[in-house]
Amino acid sequence: MSKIQHDRTHHAKMATGIGDPQCFKGKAGKAKFKEGDRVRIKDLPDIFYSRTMTYTRGAVGTVTKLVYESPAAEDEAWDNTDKPEWFYSVVFRQKELWPEYPDLYAKDTLETEFPERYLESA
Amino acid sequence: MSSSIREEVLRHLQTVGYVQPALHKQTHAPYPDTIDHSLWRAYTRSVHDIGGEADVPIVFEEKQEEQWELNTFATCECLAWRGVWNAEERRRRQNVDVGQTQYLGLPYYGRWLLTAARIMVDKQYVTLTELVNKIDEVKKRHEQNTAR
Repeated sequence: MSKIQHDRTHHAKMATGIGDPQCFKGKAGKAKFKEGDRVRIKDLPDIFYSRTMTYTRGAVGTVTKLVYESPAAEDEAWDNTDKPEWFYSVVFRQKELWPEYPDLYAKDTLETEFPERYLESA
Repeated sequence: MSSSIREEVLRHLQTVGYVQPALHKQTHAPYPDTIDHSLWRAYTRSVHDIGGEADVPIVFEEKQEEQWELNTFATCECLAWRGVWNAEERRRRQNVDVGQTQYLGLPYYGRWLLTAARIMVDKQYVTLTELVNKIDEVKKRHEQNTAR
């Protein structure tokens, strides 16, 4: 087996003095969703690595904000940084996520972030 | 000397028994037809994705970082600065690739430190032989120093 050549500097160079995810700004193209859109979280295969919590999958929430552009965790965790996408902050009713959540606290919400690949219109 | 090594080895095998997960069914080397889709998904999930899993209450304690923990953090940041990994690869390795037993069983910065050593080997900056020899050397030096 020959030695693998790792590119030791490109990510550090991109982010130095700018920050991450700021260094991916403007690289994700047109956003598919906007603030206020109702979205359902897709249940993509979850082997090896994901930061899309299983308990959110299949649930419907509302986009509150387009937060930043970045490669999805599935890509960036193996240093694949050439396909940034939009990240969205989505708010859910706790009751939507946890069926046994007490009715007394029916207005409680949970807000968290997703890369665009996990969202579909609901 | 060798009898104390044997003692340690036997104690080690016993400790490994203690850290086995408390299983509700026998699982060693299952036949393929006993792993259905839901078991497959449960076994291959990312172990950091703990939301919704059953657990017992734990006591929350405010704790200051110890010096070795701060050193570990700085080491890991230097590895990023020098392009050995990015933050997401670090998280993947220290929160998921370590597996369930280590994820739940080791201290937070213990996983950072273990992972920092692991990536040096995985990406061929050091060989495992070099790392093992270095650990052995430091261990012996430490034993000598504490014996004095």
